[in-house]
Amino acid sequence: MSSDPPLDLTIAIPSYDDNGQLTRLLRHLEALNIARQVIVVDDGSLPAPALEALAWDSGLAPDRLILLRQSRVLGAGAARNRALLYVKTRHLMFLDADDLPTRELRSLCHTLAQADPFDFCIFQHHDSRMARDSLWGQMPFDQDFWVQAGLAQGGLRPVADAAAPLLAQTANYPWNKIYRTDFLLDQNIRCSETLVHNDIALHWQSFLRARRILSSARTGVTHFVQPGGGRLTNRLDGERLRVFEPLEQIALEIAARHPAGAPYSAAFFGFALGLLNWVQDTLAPEFQAGLKSRGNAFLRRHLSRGLIRQLKQQRPADWQRAAELFSLPG
Amino acid sequence: MSALQPAPLCPGLDTFTASRQDRPLQAARTDLGPGVFLNADPALQLAGSYSSPAGYFLDLSAAPAGSGSWFGLHVVLQLPPLQGIAYLGFACRLASPEPQTLRASLRSGTHDGGFSDCFFDKHILASERAHSHLDALYLDCCPDLPLSAPWRELVLFLPCRDFDLNLMHLHLFAV
Repeated sequence: MSSDPPLDLTIAIPSYDDNGQLTRLLRHLEALNIARQVIVVDDGSLPAPALEALAWDSGLAPDRLILLRQSRVLGAGAARNRALLYVKTRHLMFLDADDLPTRELRSLCHTLAQADPFDFCIFQHHDSRMARDSLWGQMPFDQDFWVQAGLAQGGLRPVADAAAPLLAQTANYPWNKIYRTDFLLDQNIRCSETLVHNDIALHWQSFLRARRILSSARTGVTHFVQPGGGRLTNRLDGERLRVFEPLEQIALEIAARHPAGAPYSAAFFGFALGLLNWVQDTLAPEFQAGLKSRGNAFLRRHLSRGLIRQLKQQRPADWQRAAELFSLPG
Repeated sequence: MSALQPAPLCPGLDTFTASRQDRPLQAARTDLGPGVFLNADPALQLAGSYSSPAGYFLDLSAAPAGSGSWFGLHVVLQLPPLQGIAYLGFACRLASPEPQTLRASLRSGTHDGGFSDCFFDKHILASERAHSHLDALYLDCCPDLPLSAPWRELVLFLPCRDFDLNLMHLHLFAV
């Protein structure tokens, strides 16, 4: 494409043994002309992909494509952190290799190019699980938070302080936001370098540290979920217990930011209860005892009586379940 | 003063509608006009006839002698780049002496010589009383639709049994 993309934007993509989907994504990026630069970080695939082949197969001009490589599998978080060091554009967006950007994302980029400076803009997405019911958009769990925040409609709207903790409770995806690159760099916001749950820190630190958040009800990305597939998302082993690393990190940051962080307390621990319940559902039996003891220690360390009252009120089902699983006071 | 008109998505459609034809159906493929044809599973052993009075799209009377799996009206499309389109749709007006349920798809050729279908959501109901049908794909909602393809067609899937169908007009649009 000869014309400039609407926004000074880099798209960073971690990829592992996913050349088919990656090429499909790169073709879409080329056709939609969204990004000035695309950075692919290969996470130790064998054989390693070649820049020339990716450019040829996708039609992306080679000078718009950067291919980085991690010599062994370090996870998508490490790959995203590595990409961040190479970004030269004012804005940055992460995508997974099997995501697809939409035409609405391009429209959003046009709108953002005219907007006042922002730290990040969160937008809606389509989850492929919705298509099973011939529906379009986010999963009901996520959509409910957008509705509660009063942001379920609107092309581009600022996120008020009271609404931000609600949006923060949506699934911690890295690819539903367009960041100001210097916001991430100046605030030293990074992904956790774990194989799974590497997006929790990025997501919550973004909300906690941003001074201006925008939201858009545009559906910017189609996200494909394949239960039972071989992706890291579907790992059920002890790696999952590293979930406590970013949870501890964010819990400490919220406490340190008192009183500014206080509105995020119930939001974050409500999210944490839901996440730990989900981990318990999916974790292999031999790791259940470890999850229980670490979950008990984490929650007892951080939950005050006042917070427990809030969680019982706001997330009664999650609280009840977690209280049983982690032997918490009822 | 003449208004600017967008390029037609299937130039042969207007040509065929303006023509006057009254011919038998072929067993497999019946060419109606440039880029407009009927395609049937040879196992259907399709017989019957079609006509197109001037200014009227198509009257179809099909009488298969065998059992087959598919029969469709194909309209070859000349689409602008899909990344520049939000909606692709069609409007038609139709009637049938007996109730018929039809479906339509956007068919995309694939580089390996095959094709993939992206179905329009609504079923098309033809009944004794003529009525209009309008449907469109919102392309962002069709993530499996390839952005580039060697060829594309609108396919209107027809019954694989005896039927009569009057398609008064068929219009395509892309916006």
